[in-house]
Amino acid sequence: MTELLEDYALNKSLKSKTANIKAGLVGCGSMGQEIAILISKSGIDLTFIEVSEEKVEQAFAAIGEQIDHIISHWGMTSGDKRAILSRIKGSVNFEDLADCSLVIEAINTTKWIPNQPTRKEVFKKIEEVVSDDCIMISNASTIVISDLAVVLNKPYRAVGVHFISPTLDTKIIEINRCRNTSNDSIEFVNRFVRMLGKETINIYGSPGNISTRIIVPMINEACGLLMEGVSTVAQIDKTMMDGYGMQRGPFTMADHIGLDKLTKWMEGLYNEYGDKRYKSSPIIRRMVRAGILGIKTGEGFYFYKNGKQYEKKGSISHLGQQ
Amino acid sequence: MKILVINCGSSSIKYQLFDMTNEDVLAKGIVEKIGLNGSFLKNERADGDKVTLNGNIYDHQQGIEYVLGVLTSERHGSIKNLDEIQAVGHRVVHGGEAFKSSVRITQEVIDKMEEVAELAPLHNPPNLKGIYAVSSLMPNVPQAGAFDTAFHQSMTPESYMYAIPYTLYAKYGIRRYGFHGSSHRFVSQRAAELMGKKVEELKIITCHLGNGASIAAVKHGLSIDTSMGLTPVEGLMMGTRCGDLDVGALAYIMSKESINLSATNTLVNKHSGMLGISGVSSDMREVEAAAAEGNQRAILSLRMYEYRIKKYIGAYTAAMGGVDAIVFTGGIGENADQTRANIMKDFEYLNLDFDFEKNKGVRGAEIDLTKPTSKVKVWIVPTNEELVIARDTLEIVSQ
Repeated sequence: MTELLEDYALNKSLKSKTANIKAGLVGCGSMGQEIAILISKSGIDLTFIEVSEEKVEQAFAAIGEQIDHIISHWGMTSGDKRAILSRIKGSVNFEDLADCSLVIEAINTTKWIPNQPTRKEVFKKIEEVVSDDCIMISNASTIVISDLAVVLNKPYRAVGVHFISPTLDTKIIEINRCRNTSNDSIEFVNRFVRMLGKETINIYGSPGNISTRIIVPMINEACGLLMEGVSTVAQIDKTMMDGYGMQRGPFTMADHIGLDKLTKWMEGLYNEYGDKRYKSSPIIRRMVRAGILGIKTGEGFYFYKNGKQYEKKGSISHLGQQ
Repeated sequence: MKILVINCGSSSIKYQLFDMTNEDVLAKGIVEKIGLNGSFLKNERADGDKVTLNGNIYDHQQGIEYVLGVLTSERHGSIKNLDEIQAVGHRVVHGGEAFKSSVRITQEVIDKMEEVAELAPLHNPPNLKGIYAVSSLMPNVPQAGAFDTAFHQSMTPESYMYAIPYTLYAKYGIRRYGFHGSSHRFVSQRAAELMGKKVEELKIITCHLGNGASIAAVKHGLSIDTSMGLTPVEGLMMGTRCGDLDVGALAYIMSKESINLSATNTLVNKHSGMLGISGVSSDMREVEAAAAEGNQRAILSLRMYEYRIKKYIGAYTAAMGGVDAIVFTGGIGENADQTRANIMKDFEYLNLDFDFEKNKGVRGAEIDLTKPTSKVKVWIVPTNEELVIARDTLEIVSQ
């Protein structure tokens, strides 16, 4: 006969509400995968939604690969991998988000896939299935959370949360609220972010948060220097790394972000603020048109092979190619 | 008097309920996977009744609540109601320099524990959670804390200081603290009893060899040196920890592998030791099985494990100006007869005559493993950290 643990609870049971968090995630592309690993690593169950069974399988395979990469760099053990994967479920049905205490929208808008809804549609679909107190989070970098909140019946639950890649290593997470966001929602999200072992940076209604607004003009300025022939990609990166203690220089950063995604950020900020310092540099636009998108295509401002970065030797008018 | 001893880990709670009249264990058990999928509680009563209960356990408070629920239940319980538990003793990993012995838990003690929590970020916070949980569930029951580091607070500066800028000690308390203190204290005192002598008359080297491993020089009842340091990484080779390592090598590894501090911590804590060398397992039994089949790296890891212990025994004999007894304890120390035999080879220079025949197959018994003629004795003394905590708690709450 199986006995239930619940039968042995003391009368004065103080079930902790805070610890019983279950997370949902809509969109499990490369960023979504990083978010899934981070959340599950913190001991929280997570269900992600993708557009097809095939995408669900691909996401699981990619999550496994990401963890294997971390293990090979000594950051986790195979036991950690088993535990992380056991807490992640994949699905194509939004209904599977019904019991989530928070749902994160992390859809990838740079690669448009047929049938993929927009962020607003996703927010509406999530609200249809979740409970009244479920918090709804968008990982969008340059969209104001109030733009998404307006489509909700309960806009006070919408919060912008910006996970910065590499999500596992980055120590901070930006939390962006809007006029509609309630204090309870913000408090909940702050608690959640601390459960992930991160510090919170609270921001009020700024598209682009802090990080994106500063990084975008810096990368544009670096492109300006390059086009004027002031210096080389590697020298400019080195100056910012060794001179200002940055972990990565602006070009390496751009390659990591992905130039297509970066262009989206730039367009978003330019549309919002109308300031040309946010307008993407012609060199970045040329590279995106040529399919040179950074690490993910093996070539950006640098070449990438077997996880190593190589300097490009050619002239800037040939995008560094010889 | 009935005393509950609690040991809260990051996702587990171990507990034992003692009746201190005869130091009987009324019940013991473990709660595992707190806050994770598949959490459960296992309880074993003195009469052999065993139960495993599965269900959600979200945090330590809830875990302890269920423990108390099971202990007082009709079907699997050992007591009728909670009032029978007259004191609770907690294991606390790091006491810093603030705690030289076990103490009664007060707000002031909790504040100090919060201060030193930085020194053991993985262990002290869950220990504190256990204390908070008991405070809220049984607010009138006195609690005591027993610190892993307390017994080693008798070390003098020449043994506990690192030769790094003194300001780092002054600013952050960077020094050697040592761990497994309750175990080293218990087995050294018990060995003296078994030898019919006072611990104050003896020089004893205690080898606590479990999943974590440390060795201590106990001179006249006081720890004068121990192998673990600021953290439990230093000293002996362990299941997955590297033990002593050139810090220059670590800096070189970090640069070569381009890894950050967190990965470096995982490297020395989880990928190293027996597991790192053998590539087989962190479990001594599995490494021994692989070695028996001729796995060269498994064999190497066993030899390295034994060699480092031997080296420390030599060092501590020198530090104490002699040794009267060497004590083995912990899962490996108590059970791995081949490991003991390999360590105890070539000790004739100390007039230590190890009885290799007698040692064979001995597991978990209190026994002297030397020949009657041996000047230096080698004992197995099974450790009992929970009992030490229960005794300390009894003493503290009786005052």
